[in-house]
Amino acid sequence: MDGVRSRPIWAFLTGPYALFLLFLLLVPFANVVMYSLHPYSPTKVFLPELTLDNYRKIFDLYYVRLFGRTLRLGLITTAVCVVLGYPLAYFLARARPRVQALGLFLLIMPLMVSAVIRIFGWIVILGRKGLVNQTLVALGLEPIKLLYSETAVVIGLVNIFVPFMVLPIMASIERVPPNLEEAAQNLGANWYRMFRRVILPLSLPGLISGCLLVYSLSISAFVTPALMGNARERMAGQQIYDEVLVSFNWPSASSLALTLVLLTIALMFGALFATRHASRRDIAS
Amino acid sequence: MSARAPRPLLPFVVGAYVGLLAPLVVVVAVSFGPSVAFEFPPRGVTLHWFEAFFASQAFVTAFFRVSLVVGVLAAVLATVLGTSAALGLVRFRFFGREAVETFFLAPLLVPEILLGAALYLFYARLAIQASIWTLLWGHLVICTPYVIRSVTAGLVGLDPRLEEAAMSLGATRVQAFFKVTLPLLRSSLLSGAIFAFIISFSDINLALFLSGPESTSLPVHIFSEIQWQGEPTIAAASSLQIVIIGMLVLIVQRMFRLRLVV
Repeated sequence: MDGVRSRPIWAFLTGPYALFLLFLLLVPFANVVMYSLHPYSPTKVFLPELTLDNYRKIFDLYYVRLFGRTLRLGLITTAVCVVLGYPLAYFLARARPRVQALGLFLLIMPLMVSAVIRIFGWIVILGRKGLVNQTLVALGLEPIKLLYSETAVVIGLVNIFVPFMVLPIMASIERVPPNLEEAAQNLGANWYRMFRRVILPLSLPGLISGCLLVYSLSISAFVTPALMGNARERMAGQQIYDEVLVSFNWPSASSLALTLVLLTIALMFGALFATRHASRRDIAS
Repeated sequence: MSARAPRPLLPFVVGAYVGLLAPLVVVVAVSFGPSVAFEFPPRGVTLHWFEAFFASQAFVTAFFRVSLVVGVLAAVLATVLGTSAALGLVRFRFFGREAVETFFLAPLLVPEILLGAALYLFYARLAIQASIWTLLWGHLVICTPYVIRSVTAGLVGLDPRLEEAAMSLGATRVQAFFKVTLPLLRSSLLSGAIFAFIISFSDINLALFLSGPESTSLPVHIFSEIQWQGEPTIAAASSLQIVIIGMLVLIVQRMFRLRLVV
């Protein structure tokens, strides 16, 4: 490894992408920070003096409601994802290899299809004359208004983000040896007791990181609330989109975006820490 | 093998899969249906909407001139950038290596819609007009981490002594890399490249900000068509994307461990 010390090959290898990220990630966000500290001007985009008004404004009733709604919908989405995702994760973790391969394909393939397309599918299903309402009418019931409501937004978000819940939980259940389950049951625990005392505690890191992932993804959602939500009950992502592309209030959009980024990064580091911590403990035991 | 999921779980599993796949099934069905109103189940089978898709200048441009081109370019460039970054991270020990690794995967932690907004404001500041290039640079930011992940996973499973053996037999470092390491990394490289393509091809959040009037990507065009209550041509375009992505995910799964990339 002498050559390595004299010529830093690693710098040539990692340098290009590092430079790339510097100019297309760090500098753009530094630019956002800069915008967020200047007052808005309808004619000049922003004025030269410094201010914290863009952040103070987040405590106005409109924005408090906006963030309150966003965080609440994120919470509901995460809870539904746990209820649907945990059983699926357990099933996949303990399935035979062939079943597991098929199950993973059916989980990851939809995840890779553009969000707009999946939302479009839901619009057809939940629409005024959609599948659900056709069924209701056929059963002699009144059609209901499903689309353009918070319920629709949650359905869309859960559909898009549930794989992010399943994958980390599945990984942490797989690390629990199946004979541990057998041991607990041989010692007299029924399945539910075994689950509560053995599997649930050991899969907690995966569950935590799944929850943080889904939560941070859903609070920054845009496409789902834009296409399935009510125009008056918007989420933070829509507000940012409008302030950037429609009203051109870039300083205000910047302060909103940074608030959301900081929230997300804090959550993501929590997720990273939960999984790292778990794998360390795994090796230690 | 007694550690199998108990029966009461099955309804949840089936329910979850129905929910995951229903929208895709509906979209494909609608694209073959004769009705203008998105009707499900369809009352017949027609290829009319696929014809309409290929006859529509806007759809053809969005699909072939923008999404496909940007996707392929993003896959190629992300593979070059990502492979070299992964090699540097796995094969060398240097001060701050873990910090660099975290930095390289950071784009996965930033919500895409906010990255899109930040890049839009940055381009606006520099007075750079939206084009397929502005879209491509944005996609490279989010695609490259997938290549880094899959190539890192491939490299970790590869014995560095193979390279050393080649070098002790007279190969230069560069020769050893191209003749020994690269062929052995083939499947993880290709998986990374395919994923990079998929991420770019199906991205909407960045494209909403970075597409210009001449460079509308397919998902963005579908998005605006849905807003204007367009025809089932949307469904035909969507079906094509579903088929392409389904095949690519299948290839990756056959070749490599899918979960190491996602």
